[in-house]
Amino acid sequence: MFNYSVRRLLTAVPTILILIVFAFYLMRLAPGGPFTSEKPLPPAVMENVLKRYGMDEPLHMQLFTYIKNIVCCFDFGPSFSQKDRSVNDIIAQGFPVTLTYGFWSAVFVLVLGIPLGIIAALRHNSFWDYLMTGLAIFSQIFPNFVLAPLMVLLFTLSWGLLPGGGWNGGQWQYIVMPAIALGTSYMAGVARLTRGSLLEVLNSPFIRTARAKGLPERTILIRHALKPALLPTLTYMGPVFVYMITGSVFIDVFFSTGGIGQDFIDGAYSRDYSVLLGLAIIYCVLTFSINLVLDLLYAWIDPKVRDSL
Amino acid sequence: MSLLSVQDLAIRFSTGDGTVHAVNNVSFDIAPGEKVALVGESGSGKSQIALSIMGLLAKNAQVSGRILHEGRDLLTLSQDALNKVRAKKIAMIFQDPMSALNPYMRVGRQLTEIVELHEGLGRADARKRAIEAMEAVQIPDAKNRIDAYPHEFSGGMRQRIVIAMALICKPGLILADEPTTALDVTVQAQIMRLLDEIQSELNTAVLLITHDLGVVAGFCDRSMVLYGGRMMETAPTKDLFAAPSHPYTRGLLRAVPNINDAAGELRAIPGSPPNQLRPLTHCPFAARCVDAVEQCRSTLPELTGEATKRACLRPVEALS
Ligand SMILES: Nc1ncnc2c1ncn2[C@@H]1O[C@H](COP(=O)(O)OP(=O)(O)OP(=O)(O)O)[C@@H](O)[C@H]1O
Ligand SMILES: [Mg+2]
Repeated sequence: MFNYSVRRLLTAVPTILILIVFAFYLMRLAPGGPFTSEKPLPPAVMENVLKRYGMDEPLHMQLFTYIKNIVCCFDFGPSFSQKDRSVNDIIAQGFPVTLTYGFWSAVFVLVLGIPLGIIAALRHNSFWDYLMTGLAIFSQIFPNFVLAPLMVLLFTLSWGLLPGGGWNGGQWQYIVMPAIALGTSYMAGVARLTRGSLLEVLNSPFIRTARAKGLPERTILIRHALKPALLPTLTYMGPVFVYMITGSVFIDVFFSTGGIGQDFIDGAYSRDYSVLLGLAIIYCVLTFSINLVLDLLYAWIDPKVRDSL
Repeated sequence: MSLLSVQDLAIRFSTGDGTVHAVNNVSFDIAPGEKVALVGESGSGKSQIALSIMGLLAKNAQVSGRILHEGRDLLTLSQDALNKVRAKKIAMIFQDPMSALNPYMRVGRQLTEIVELHEGLGRADARKRAIEAMEAVQIPDAKNRIDAYPHEFSGGMRQRIVIAMALICKPGLILADEPTTALDVTVQAQIMRLLDEIQSELNTAVLLITHDLGVVAGFCDRSMVLYGGRMMETAPTKDLFAAPSHPYTRGLLRAVPNINDAAGELRAIPGSPPNQLRPLTHCPFAARCVDAVEQCRSTLPELTGEATKRACLRPVEALS
């Protein structure tokens, strides 16, 4: 298991390098640049600016310097559009925000979605099952850009219970709505997935064997059915979790949380190469780590997977 | 005094196509320590009879009749009461050992949870019992293999584990639903020998469900022949083989492939199994029976007789 993890981490390194190269050239290929504006800068000024950011050198040299700085000093370079801020600063400020509400959003998704799915499966074809399935389908197609304003309308404007935006150092009142708005449709997805897979597991022959042993239904559910029933949910939650903690542009913009979703969109508008590249690398590293954690979880649940590691 | 008495058992399933009459008023007794075979072709209702005894029928099933065990009707027991019978008094071996074990759980745990539940043993004692049970079914190196997962065992070994699960509480009755069908021939023989040894050691009664008459011949005291969810004939196994008294049993015995058969042909019974969507009003075998007369297509014969019971309107002497 340990060897496997090390091997996986080692293969991640070249993959991330390839990603950097691709993203780097791709961005430069796009028309425009961080210093293009309606009124072109005078050539002399432009030359100075380019020099300051090292953009006067040939592309491959720029790339080389960029990678060198990351490897030797964990330095993602200066931001092209925000004066006197480095990409490291921007990430250090925005990432904890998205990480926080993304994490609580994932908690909300799992803590609500899984039990709802279980209840629906156990009450198969009853009122509760239909209610849950109906609600799940409804909230799965209910986009967060409708849900978020609706929540602000109710919780902030009508009842004055929660602040309608801001972050304020991450006090819980400021986390609730972003987390719920971000998570609701995934919560519904998890509920439906859990319901379906638990129903299937409960119909499998080995559950019948467990019943033939005289075990009470509760024990059968917890000891025999739950682990395998959660496998599809696990698969589903991997990419969703990465998406959540790397920030949703919409949530950051709508609730003014100041997460990296906001930085991402700013960076895209202003062609801020270094910010975009830095965020892409974070995204990539997170995807790698979370997939590794997922695979280890799979192995923990399924002994056949464990043997193949 | 019988250990289990099944009386007038009928099992129907409601489906989109209508009601499936899977088992039609079947009655039989099993005495303590007795080895009884339940034989019949695929779809004749064998598994459903066993499942109804365990209370494990599918949700769309309706059962009627009585299944008496220790003076109680299992069909009317509460879930809790039934759970105390399962595995402790009546255990079941399932048709397919590949899917009967939980693939996500160590085999040891799948054994220990039974004795922890029914005998209140602690972890350590339960583990000791599990190892004993695995040794009893001749799994080599049981002490170490107990921590393995099902996929680490071969089919034959898995079936041994399933058997170990069935007998770990030393139940009075084991329902063995085609315990060897999924295994290859040499393993089949080993498993049957094992069942036989364990049976005589514990003096457990066994209901052996099979469509393989070869298996029955060596193992069972008494055989019951099922067709279309209806009991056709029950007799001491020796008599059944020597002098089958029902046209269906005769056809069944003739259909067994025989190495000494010069022609080497398979003499299957012509025709197809009955349509179970219609309630039984006459002998289900009449349509395929070479000896059938007009009356067979209008009357449902009762199972009658002493040692040998048969459900046939035609006297034995009149059969071809
Ligand atoms: N849940 C169900 N719904 C509808 N019909 C069912 C259901 N379960 C079983 N049946 C039907 O009941 C009949 C008897 O099935 P059973 O499983 O007892 O057959 P069997 O004798 O064990 O056959 P095999 O040798 O193939 O195992 C079959 O026709 C089957 O299609
Ligand atoms: Mg069967």
